[in-house]
Amino acid sequence: MQTQTKQDKFLEDLDVKAILGQDVEANIDRNLPMRKWLYSWLLDPNIPGNFQKDLDKWISYLIIFNLFSLMFEHVPAVYEPYRVWFEMFDIFSVAVFTIEYGLRFYLAPEDEEFKNRKNARLGFVTSPFAIIDFLAVAPFYLQAFIPIDLRVLRFLRLLRIMKLFRVLIPAIAEFKELNKGRTFRQKVHALVFPSNYGGTMQHIFEVFIGVWVILSVLAVILESVKGINYILHLQFVILDAVAVAIFTVEYCMRMYACVEEPGYKGAFLGRFRQAKNPSTFIDFLAILPFFLEVFLHHLIDLRFLRVFRLARLLKLTRGSDATAVLVKVVVREWPVMGAATFIMMLLLVLTASLGYLFEYDAQPEKFENIPTSIYWAVITLASVGYGDISPVTPMGRAMTSVLALMGIGIFAIPAALLASAFSDELVKERDLLKAKLFGILKDGHISDAEAAIIRAEAKRLHLTVEEVNKLIEVVVKEHELEERNPLPIHKIAENPALAVEHYKVLLGQIRQLGVQVDAAQFDQAAQQGERLTANEFALWQKIQGKS
Amino acid sequence: MAQLMASSTDHSTEHQDLGTTSSDKLFLAFLVIVVAAVTWLGVVNYQEALKVEQAKSNGEAWVEWLTEAGTTRHEADTKLTACKGGTKPPADAKADTPGTWGVCLAHILANTELKDQINAFFNKAPHFVAACDPKDRTLMGAILLEDLMPTPPGSATPFVASQLLETDGIDYKMQLRLSVCDKGGYAIKVAEFEF
Repeated sequence: MQTQTKQDKFLEDLDVKAILGQDVEANIDRNLPMRKWLYSWLLDPNIPGNFQKDLDKWISYLIIFNLFSLMFEHVPAVYEPYRVWFEMFDIFSVAVFTIEYGLRFYLAPEDEEFKNRKNARLGFVTSPFAIIDFLAVAPFYLQAFIPIDLRVLRFLRLLRIMKLFRVLIPAIAEFKELNKGRTFRQKVHALVFPSNYGGTMQHIFEVFIGVWVILSVLAVILESVKGINYILHLQFVILDAVAVAIFTVEYCMRMYACVEEPGYKGAFLGRFRQAKNPSTFIDFLAILPFFLEVFLHHLIDLRFLRVFRLARLLKLTRGSDATAVLVKVVVREWPVMGAATFIMMLLLVLTASLGYLFEYDAQPEKFENIPTSIYWAVITLASVGYGDISPVTPMGRAMTSVLALMGIGIFAIPAALLASAFSDELVKERDLLKAKLFGILKDGHISDAEAAIIRAEAKRLHLTVEEVNKLIEVVVKEHELEERNPLPIHKIAENPALAVEHYKVLLGQIRQLGVQVDAAQFDQAAQQGERLTANEFALWQKIQGKS
Repeated sequence: MAQLMASSTDHSTEHQDLGTTSSDKLFLAFLVIVVAAVTWLGVVNYQEALKVEQAKSNGEAWVEWLTEAGTTRHEADTKLTACKGGTKPPADAKADTPGTWGVCLAHILANTELKDQINAFFNKAPHFVAACDPKDRTLMGAILLEDLMPTPPGSATPFVASQLLETDGIDYKMQLRLSVCDKGGYAIKVAEFEF
């Protein structure tokens, strides 16, 4: 019977889903009293896996949609034809907010904040959040009894945005706590750059910027639709100004606080380095068209400047780890890509020249000169083949057939290079995570901080629960081996002298193997089914001193 | 400025100087100035956009008047004698020949509320142009009125647009397109209508 090792026990008890924060099931007793049970499921912020975060998230979305609805109500061309839909949405929002208010009122005696008060519900009603919640719905009911001016009503509905404070205030409190004893600039840094001090507030900041990027890009796209731009031109202008104000403040904050980033030390040099950073340069490009439009509108084509604002979309790449990996891969493979590009260019010029040579006499208007033939060459070699220019002479057609086939291979090289390098990079990143896991699992348990590291890395590398589980299993097994053989390969690799010794030991073991094994049978087995490659077999023979 | 740009010498979290330093205050002041500047530029842009809106509403007023006139001008007892349909001008008609757009335009600019229109870009009455041109910024807020002539069936384009000139006859039911030139010198189509 196999005995269970402590590693097996560790793996058995391991809950990767919980570490990755996925599908954590709330541990709520079914036998709780109704009110307590409901509070635990819907409003308790301290129970992981309940619906509190989801509820807050959906309420936040509804508040933002309300804001948009309110904005579009001011555009008669949008509001008038869809008045009924706007009213229905308002009724729906008020219904949801009222249910939320009622729920919070009913569950107030279970809330930590109010349960110890003499009258918990009175405590809730008079709390700032509850007052905001009440103000968000009260005007709707009030207008049924008292005629209220539409503008006042809309202003009061604007108060609904204050409901977002229910999410913001705890985040601010957490941010303050995390940044206690830190300087103003460090706080700014914590807000705009990902770090251990940012907490939820940094996440909210990134989401806020992301939302504005999407909004402003959408606005640029919709501006090109004449019918929409005709109706919403003023709104687009306002939205652009607000977006630029936000992005400019963000840019200034990044430039100011960047010196807190490792590697960006120095008041001028650090900031200059930050300004040169591609993501910061993109931030600069995002705001540049606005200023150019204001100051140089008489010199530059405004339509070009407006389309140029789409560069803002690149701001979203800041949060994308996959883009960072891709950039890294392109930079790493640049020399090889350069060589492939050189061959491509060579072939392109050759094709264009031959095309000109063979086709000029037959079609002088299409193959007028080599530069105009380049267009045809690119379209042919890239296998696009629009067909607007095609060879008609037998030589031209024969050459095109050969070059089109070559083009498939030549144009595929950079793509294949990138794909394989991207895959290599991912393997490398996973190996790094494996090395990290090796350190984490050394003591046989995963602390909260270590779980956070695993969670962040798994998110960065887009690993599934199964993949993380597999990695942990491998690492645990390696630990098991380490216990038997105290030095694992990566530890040996850290010390070159040790690595040389280890190499010598391995060579010795191979030689020993060569002495003990039947050489003829080994050679036969190695060559059977190509178990060893030619190089591997040659190396074996070299070590055995046979060649 | 040097103070504003002063770098942290310590990257650790154990700073002793916890309040806002003078460089922080300078940064905040700079931020306020930046926000104020962007707001001001935003207001400038908004005012420019309002001028485009004004040009659009000028165009809309023209469309409204011409559309309304188009419903009655072909009637025998129409009061719009200057714009009356059915009177074909001669081929060598001048701008003041009855039955031409020139006569109708002169009537509109003399007797209707359209005469008081202002092109907000130049604070003067909007003028009619042959085309909007991004290279010519003097055309901002100008009105482009085009006659849409249907092409024979099977043509690549359903109609050919040409500027309605003062010497053009308006004796028939016309399909018109009115556009205004925006701040960038591009045409904004206001409407296509019958006149």
